[in-house]
Amino acid sequence: MIIQVLLISGLALCLVYAFLQRRKNRLVSRTLAVVSLAGIYLVVDPDRANEMAHLAGVGRGADLIVYCWVVISLMVSVNLQFKIMALGGDITELARALALQEANRSASAATPGLGAQDPGSSG
Amino acid sequence: MGPGGVWVVIPAYNEGPVIADVVEAVRASVPEVVVVDDCSSDGTREAALSGGAAVLRHPINLGQGAALQTGIRHALSRGAEFIITFDADGQHRAEDIAVLLDTQRRTGADVVIGSRFLGATENLPASRRVILKLAVLFTRMTSGLKVTDAHNGLRLLTRSAAQRIEIRQNRMAHASEIIDQIRRLGLSVAEAPVTIVYTEYSLRKGQRLSNALNILAELFIARVNK
Repeated sequence: MIIQVLLISGLALCLVYAFLQRRKNRLVSRTLAVVSLAGIYLVVDPDRANEMAHLAGVGRGADLIVYCWVVISLMVSVNLQFKIMALGGDITELARALALQEANRSASAATPGLGAQDPGSSG
Repeated sequence: MGPGGVWVVIPAYNEGPVIADVVEAVRASVPEVVVVDDCSSDGTREAALSGGAAVLRHPINLGQGAALQTGIRHALSRGAEFIITFDADGQHRAEDIAVLLDTQRRTGADVVIGSRFLGATENLPASRRVILKLAVLFTRMTSGLKVTDAHNGLRLLTRSAAQRIEIRQNRMAHASEIIDQIRRLGLSVAEAPVTIVYTEYSLRKGQRLSNALNILAELFIARVNK
């Protein structure tokens, strides 16, 4: 079936990505690998998903997968949010360092002898 | 007239129409004024320079809290002993700087916070008063610090206090953050009565209720993230 080919190739790509990332971030790489392998398994044998769903008290296997997906994407969003905040902090420090550096440069240019070699050359 | 080692830090974002007058008024008593231009697009930098201030410019807009921290760091690097934070929109009176310095001298406090509710306000709208009072209540409940005005841009930090306080709330939540850090660092606080002049200009640029909600959200995220 076409859908199975599509899903398996997508999941296989995730698996390759997880393998490539294995040194950079072990936790993410392993989680992704496990999720991809589980996904491939369930695509090949959809009845398994149904059985697991019934065990968990969910009607259909497809529903169970959707619910799991929602939880996983929420976790990823929260993680991204924290990363973005950390990035914002880094950018602030960078911008601040630039502003302070520029102030020091124009100050030393304004008072030659305090470190400025050639005050005439600055803007 | 200006005591040695005093620096005034003015964060400014698009305050071109008023910043030169504000700088001149401050420089009448304190010569060392640094304006942190938070990437304005309206000639704030030139106006501040013409007023006689040193100007630092953020290459991107980061927010008032970030601008304050940049200015404080600059003043510290220039050997400031006392750092006064001062708003750019003309709502503070330059005369009140002397009141802050005097209060610090009398009490020896690490931080002196200007209070409009101990001092005076001119043309304060009733709705704004309610928001400010709620903000004070919030600060008292969350930090346990007994201050009468939590969100006043006019403050004095001694050198050692300025070295220890680190503003990480780039946007408007920094006022509450500063109070919070004062308590956690165990710094001593005094309040000084100051006058806030509400002009049509400063009201237009000032905070709204929706912003108060944003500030609460920012503080909440910071607390969770700690």
